[in-house]
Amino acid sequence: MVVAFMLGAATFWALESAAIAAGRPDGVPNWWILVTSAAFLLPILVFLGRTFPFLTDWYYLLPAIVFLLVFTVYPIVLTVYLAFTNYSGMRNGFPDRSTETPVVAVDGPRITLGANPLTSLGCGETCVGQQLELVGDGHRARFSVVDVSGRALTLDRAPGFTPEYAYRINAYHFIGFKNFVFIFQNASKALWPVFVWNVVFAAFTVLSTALLGLLLGVLLNNKELKLRNLYRTLLIISWALPGVISIQMWVALLNKQFGAINRLLGLLGIYPIPWLLDPLWAKVSVLMVNLWLGFPYMMTATLGALSTIPDELYEAAKVDGASGLDAFQFITLPLLKTAFVPILLASFAYNFNNFNIIYLLTGGGPAIEGQLSTAQATDILISWAYKTAFRAEGQSAYGLGAAISLVIFVLTVGISLVNFRVSGALREEGRR
Amino acid sequence: MSRRGWLSVLLMAAAYFLAVQGYYGAVGERPNSFLVYGLERGHYGVALAFALAVVLVGLALRRWLEDEDGLRVALWTAGVLELGAYTWGLWLELASRVQPHPAFGSVFIPSGWRYVLAGYVVAVLVLFVYSWVVIKVGNRLTERRRPVRPLFGQALTHLFMWTLVVLVYYPVLQVVSASFDPRNNLFSFRKVESSWLLVRAKVLPSFSNVSWANYAKLVDGVVIYPWQWAVLALALGLLLAALLLALLARRGGDEALKVWHGRALFGFAAALFVLVVFLSPDQFTGVGTESKFLLWVRNTLLVSGSSGLLAIALTATAGYAFARFDFPGRYPTLLTFIFIQMFPGFLALVAIYYLLSWLDLLNTFTGLLLAYSGGIISFGSWVYKGYVESLGRSLEEAAYIDGATRWQAFTRIVLPLSAPMFVFIFLLQFVGTYSEFIMANLVLTGVDKWTVGLGLYSFTTGQFSTKWGLFAAASVLGSLPILLIFYGFQQYFVSGYTAGAVKE
Repeated sequence: MVVAFMLGAATFWALESAAIAAGRPDGVPNWWILVTSAAFLLPILVFLGRTFPFLTDWYYLLPAIVFLLVFTVYPIVLTVYLAFTNYSGMRNGFPDRSTETPVVAVDGPRITLGANPLTSLGCGETCVGQQLELVGDGHRARFSVVDVSGRALTLDRAPGFTPEYAYRINAYHFIGFKNFVFIFQNASKALWPVFVWNVVFAAFTVLSTALLGLLLGVLLNNKELKLRNLYRTLLIISWALPGVISIQMWVALLNKQFGAINRLLGLLGIYPIPWLLDPLWAKVSVLMVNLWLGFPYMMTATLGALSTIPDELYEAAKVDGASGLDAFQFITLPLLKTAFVPILLASFAYNFNNFNIIYLLTGGGPAIEGQLSTAQATDILISWAYKTAFRAEGQSAYGLGAAISLVIFVLTVGISLVNFRVSGALREEGRR
Repeated sequence: MSRRGWLSVLLMAAAYFLAVQGYYGAVGERPNSFLVYGLERGHYGVALAFALAVVLVGLALRRWLEDEDGLRVALWTAGVLELGAYTWGLWLELASRVQPHPAFGSVFIPSGWRYVLAGYVVAVLVLFVYSWVVIKVGNRLTERRRPVRPLFGQALTHLFMWTLVVLVYYPVLQVVSASFDPRNNLFSFRKVESSWLLVRAKVLPSFSNVSWANYAKLVDGVVIYPWQWAVLALALGLLLAALLLALLARRGGDEALKVWHGRALFGFAAALFVLVVFLSPDQFTGVGTESKFLLWVRNTLLVSGSSGLLAIALTATAGYAFARFDFPGRYPTLLTFIFIQMFPGFLALVAIYYLLSWLDLLNTFTGLLLAYSGGIISFGSWVYKGYVESLGRSLEEAAYIDGATRWQAFTRIVLPLSAPMFVFIFLLQFVGTYSEFIMANLVLTGVDKWTVGLGLYSFTTGQFSTKWGLFAAASVLGSLPILLIFYGFQQYFVSGYTAGAVKE
């Protein structure tokens, strides 16, 4: 696979240079590297399969493994790397087009610029060590500056073409643990409040949805109740609607002056509640909407678990003189518990990173004084990371966002490990 | 618990109540819990003193109580009391943040909740009298002795259920009714004249001017070629046929009906596929962004559909290998898959964005598709592995005896049997990506490439913030595909989902 990738990459570079030489300065799109690699991978695989038949077992896993490697594992590794850099919107590894400087003379690795490099290229203190992109004659290449004297720059190697313009690259650097130091130095402004709210949010959501779901499940499991299928079908609606739409619907409904919820409450003699405007009420809104979204799943799970309990158990209990409450306490609850614990833990892990509800309902707001502008009243860790990396108020600090992601990853793995330990999901019965 | 136990709990509660009143009265704040509030506000002394007091009381109780552990009683009681006090404090705080004047232009009924409460009390009484009469008369007539309680309990359950249904559907009703009212602007003071209180308060919609104008705006300037109409008609016809066949099959039809039902559904999917793939942005000539709504639906269907198909393609062979083969490294690989799954895809957002921008795949469906593909692989393989294991090996072994290779056994025997599981994996990925927002928001930047979720987000934010009616109409239309799928495959989807969750 590695060989195929290297061959594919080589072909890709060949194609790229050919395309540039043919007068297309942008070359071919970079995703061609995937196609060329695959083109080499297939014959190699056939050959290897013929030579080492035992490898064919792995071929069944290959599509999954390749996709996991390229689109999950590689991004994870990249995240870990970026977390230790200052990669950001300002330092993105691309040439800065505002630093365009004409190149007036070339002599081997020495080039002479048409303007003062310090100001024109915007190097800051010195241009030594900076990366430049030289463009000209249909070619493009990157060089690093070794020495500066006046307007003449010495590069690490001689450009093989006649450059016309030079651009400074907005390079990003390895900065060690600075991102993490920043996170923990500002912990009282972001990490702690956000983490506490994140745990409260996930725990309360799980508890409230589970309690309502359990109540409904137990009520609807009563075989003598008429219309029970109708109720189940009707109440499942909030699960059936796409969340991305229904959450946005709630934003309008929770408007303080005009929202439908406050109109209803006005009839009950309750003054208009600042649902999404007040930091504390915004938290209540998030929890309420998430209860509305989440209880049908718990109800369905309860009904599913209850249907597996044999009726004979209850009949036996009745014969022994147990009341309905006794039967519930000593048969239903213990049996539900075994089915429910993994569901609750999975639900906790899901809600711990439930970005959609936070971002679409409140956008993390409203603002709280004294906290980072990316970590507001209802922000959870994941929305904090997102806003840090991709929103204007976080100044597109990709490196810092990646560092926050790593912190979340550690927490998520912790939760998942507890889940697997408790539910025993990884045990394979009857094998080995 | 013994009498002494209850007595001590009662005394502790009373002491706690007095302490809360006394302390918070003295410092002039709202009553609250000692521990949480103390730690929150930096009154560490208070929190410490309270904890100490609880432990001391517990130790004292240990001597006094015979049957129970006094410390435990004290801790539990204190915990419950603290929780209660904290909730009470929170409630007071929340209430203090509500401005005491009704919203401008709204209908406000002082103490309206009393009428509602009274209504419920009356309803409960009526239901009790009804159950009592029915049971007593029934007993008299049939000479049996049935108790009143079960029927009364059922009646109360019905009351509760209908209340809940009304509450759950209230938002849906508001949105659906807003979609039919072109003048419905979220930020409007327009009064509704009606003799009905609920209509006047805009709690129930007024049906005085129902109109399709909002929906018309969503399809404004859309040019649909005649052959597309024909394919659409074919698709709808096939869907209708499938529904009819399903009804007939439920009435006890034979196998042939089921086969034709499957074919009709397949034909419907194929026709829909043709429509989705060949609908192009050039056909949307309307002026506003909202006229691209159908394009967004098409984009979403395209991304979600191909994402579902890709999920099946990636997980089928892997799940089969995990279930049937026994090569060294199988179990560690399985564990690795599951471990990787723990890293939620969107945590690597920065890196995926970086990767896609390097591959020049930003603002393309391919890029989004590839970004989605990683998420389902582990879970899909795991679920499919379980399914194959439940199939049993006998059929495959028979095939091996007949000289089939392993690949043939997989494609000829296991794959056809796996259709239900594939449908489940497809639906899971389809529904999941339909609702996905964050990745799509990052990758798709052009209006022509937006998915439904992104388009709707543009209605509620920025300059479009007043297009409430349009938003409502788009929500209704955008939810329909998922709603149909969910209710169409409900039984099966729900069981797969909960089973999957248990196994997860």
